Amino acid sequence: MIALKIAQRELIAAWRERLHGFRILMLCLIFGIASISAIGSLRGAIDAGLNSNGRVFLGGDAQIELTYRQANAREVAWMARQSRAQSQIIDFRSMAVAPTTNKRILTQVKAVDSQYPLVGAVTLSDNMSLSEAFAGRDGLPGAVLAPALLRRLKINLGDEVQFGQKSFVVMATLLKEPDNFGNFALGPRSLVLIKGLEDSGLLAAGTLFSSKYRLLFEDGSELGQAQQRFDRDWPGTGAKWKDARKASPGADRVIERMSRFLILIGLSGLVVGGIGVSAAVRAFIAKKTGHIAVLKTLGATPGQIFWIYTMQIAVYTGLSVVLGLLLGTLAPFAARPFLPDNLAEVALISIYPSALIEAAVYGSLAAAIFSIWPLAQTEHIRPANLFRGGAPAQWPARRYLIVQGALLATALFGAVQFSGSWSMTFWLLGGIAISLLILALISGAFQFALRRIMSGSAFQGLLPLRAAFSALASGSERTGSVVMGIGLGLTVLAAVGQIDGNLRRSITQSLPDKAPSFFFLDIQTTQLPEFNQRLAENPAVWKVETAPMLRGLVTKINDQPAAEIGGDHWVLRGDRGISYADALPEKTKITAGRWWGARYSGSPQISFAAEEAEEIGIGIGDKLTLNVLGRDITATITSLREVDFSTAGMGFVILLNEAALRGAPHSHIATVYAKASAEIPILDELNQAFPNVTGIQIREAAALVTGVVSSIASATSIGALATLLSGFLILIGAAAASTAQRAYESAILKTLGATQREILTSFALRSAMIGALAASVALGAGLLGGWAVSHFVFENQFEVIWINAALVIFGGVGLTLITGMLFALGPLSKSAATELRQRD
Amino acid sequence: MAGLEQATSGRVTVLQEDISAMSEAELAQFRRGRVGVVFQSFHLIPSMTALQNVATALELAGQPNPFDRARKTLTALGLAHRRDHFPKQMSGGEQQRVALARALAPNPKLVFADEPTGNLDATNGASIVDSLFTLTREQAETTLILVTHDIQLAQRCDRIIDLRDGKICESNSA
Repeated sequence: MIALKIAQRELIAAWRERLHGFRILMLCLIFGIASISAIGSLRGAIDAGLNSNGRVFLGGDAQIELTYRQANAREVAWMARQSRAQSQIIDFRSMAVAPTTNKRILTQVKAVDSQYPLVGAVTLSDNMSLSEAFAGRDGLPGAVLAPALLRRLKINLGDEVQFGQKSFVVMATLLKEPDNFGNFALGPRSLVLIKGLEDSGLLAAGTLFSSKYRLLFEDGSELGQAQQRFDRDWPGTGAKWKDARKASPGADRVIERMSRFLILIGLSGLVVGGIGVSAAVRAFIAKKTGHIAVLKTLGATPGQIFWIYTMQIAVYTGLSVVLGLLLGTLAPFAARPFLPDNLAEVALISIYPSALIEAAVYGSLAAAIFSIWPLAQTEHIRPANLFRGGAPAQWPARRYLIVQGALLATALFGAVQFSGSWSMTFWLLGGIAISLLILALISGAFQFALRRIMSGSAFQGLLPLRAAFSALASGSERTGSVVMGIGLGLTVLAAVGQIDGNLRRSITQSLPDKAPSFFFLDIQTTQLPEFNQRLAENPAVWKVETAPMLRGLVTKINDQPAAEIGGDHWVLRGDRGISYADALPEKTKITAGRWWGARYSGSPQISFAAEEAEEIGIGIGDKLTLNVLGRDITATITSLREVDFSTAGMGFVILLNEAALRGAPHSHIATVYAKASAEIPILDELNQAFPNVTGIQIREAAALVTGVVSSIASATSIGALATLLSGFLILIGAAAASTAQRAYESAILKTLGATQREILTSFALRSAMIGALAASVALGAGLLGGWAVSHFVFENQFEVIWINAALVIFGGVGLTLITGMLFALGPLSKSAATELRQRD
Repeated sequence: MAGLEQATSGRVTVLQEDISAMSEAELAQFRRGRVGVVFQSFHLIPSMTALQNVATALELAGQPNPFDRARKTLTALGLAHRRDHFPKQMSGGEQQRVALARALAPNPKLVFADEPTGNLDATNGASIVDSLFTLTREQAETTLILVTHDIQLAQRCDRIIDLRDGKICESNSA
């Protein structure tokens, strides 16, 4: 009770002093909590948006997707029986050709029926309706093109565009497509009627397209029951079910993982903030040493003293949590204009309690973990400290260490629960802990080395440098906490920059050296000889590879559902390209088992990619059931092969013997290696000769992938900047705390005859050295992290990205130098006599 | 007189130089090697050892071998064993002797001692005063200007100026 009263009195006094001494502590917590709650709130908003608009994004209550084929009469009848409305769309890649400008651009075509869209609305230019647009003009059917496609084809509304062998007139531009959230496409969208594609040659047997049937059920129908009926009635057809309960599982997964990752990055900001909290509480207790000694003289027990100050820190933490949550809740509203268009449209920005609870838990735990150690020091303050100055720091009593350990374990458990991933939490928090340890050890070693060097007459004649080294060695500049604070933010930025740079380099620079210029899809068997002939005659082409291409889904492994054996492995997640061969393809290396002999026609056999087989946990002798074009084929793995996907060349995880697939309708895929300057003429020539064949330029595809990688890196860098901001707060705290010390030192040096310039140089040197130390260690740790991720995760060759390295070094030095200088001007301008008199 | 404060009116001439018209940088140059100050609260640079504190004054004065000379001065004041210690590791008396060494080492023309014994016990105070007078008398060109409330101490000086409420009341030669 007495403790409460005294704490209350001290809080009121601190409030009167406008929370002087607690501002950095509170800002550190507020920023950390705000960034975590903002990320969580944004994730909540996107989740809510996806859930409430599930029907719109899906285009119906449910969708049945078939790869490579359209539904047969029996399946169409089933859909008609089960639902009150149906709509079909066919989705595929093709080349859009503008005859007037002779431009050919890859496009993602969506062919729809007259019922489309069952839910939501398509918005076209000039408020045109879809039926008006598809009606066309002058005997040509109409098409709707995305504005980007129109621009790249250099045509206008009313001009002609060809898909395959069919001409269309462009009637409108596509402004909004309701059912396109979370779809990754290699080309801009084109919309046409399915009927309009007849005779285009684009939907011939064996070409790559997917057919999606959207269904609307009677009101009140249970989607779960509908799915059960689908599972019962469509076995072995290869059809995939999706419904409005989880309309965009791919996007859901990406957003979920990305937001979890960013929250963990935000957590690193809170850890840095915690270092700031620790420094602030330590300074607070040091300032209160005399006060505590007096209280002890008057009979206060160590327990009462501990609670007097713990309650105060708890109040400041509580206040910071409230302000942080407020800021974090408001941030998504403010960030809405800066979100990517599709996310801004989806997000239902509101208050999401779970996000706020998560941030509040992290914030409170961080404050408790980092303040308990300095608070425990109050036990060591004795009444005698009134006469002999501050008590030296000691190891806290065992009970405080136990509480701290328990809090740390709770925080780790919470992080794992909230992130939902042991491995992500382990790697990221482990990385943060190791980085902090490295930063602490190196700054400690730096100070130790300086003390050793400075004990003699080192740097004689270089007064500014010697004064700077002496100050750093003595710890008056709070070197340790600043190096850790700034260093961790810079470490994350350095690691992200190195990973991003290496990934981009591998996609955009190294790839073209060994990657093909094009992929060509949908080459019909009858077109193959002429296709090869034309390329063989072209001197700019130096290599062509072709292979039969089908798509199939691995449904079972050894008669058990594939997911039960191989989990969520990417090979089992959806349709995969599969191929067949008779003789062993050139340069193929068998790592286990034996290749089937030429003209083998026995029971189906599979040659599987060795690395992926190991990851899934299958090998020679295992039986896989593949659903190809609605038919199940069961085959035994008889060999494993090395497949190198890094070259972007031809590589199939699953290769069957020829007799197993030869009869199935299929097309061929080709990779063409040619001189960069000849790429466009080759594309034009082949597209003119084979209008149904789709050519994908690797360079363009790589640019798209690079764009995605860049956005992820940008999001992570923003998270890292929040960490750096917390580090910056520590820097400000340290600079503010050393102001009095610097003013004193400045006054003494002035008395001895030092000029302002010499003193300012000394102050600048110590700031720059702290920045350089933090940045160098951060760069080292960042390079190590970047190398580990590039080497082990992306399996890339690692090269130092020098621009990022320079930015980290100059950024670190610049930040500490500018802050140090701003805080140096005050002490420097103080009159020496006034300063010294105040201390007499 | 030490150029630590700017005069608001009139002129201050010290060592034949008008210091009232000097800028901060010029005052610093003026003090280098010519003015030493011993404060009541010692005012040593906390992040520097005793040796470095003394050597800093010699370096600023531009004198050769500052560390060697600093070592000699500290030894003369009985602080050879304390030269690598930081101020907080020394007693008040030791700190004041370091401050004395710092003020006297450059062989300045003027040494200002502002209540040099104010923060010391009687034994340490007497020892410091003895050192102060002995060393300044040994340095033929050095004048000691001592500020004190202690009449007995003042009487050890050659000339006493009595200041009351900021005004000179008496000026006597001993």
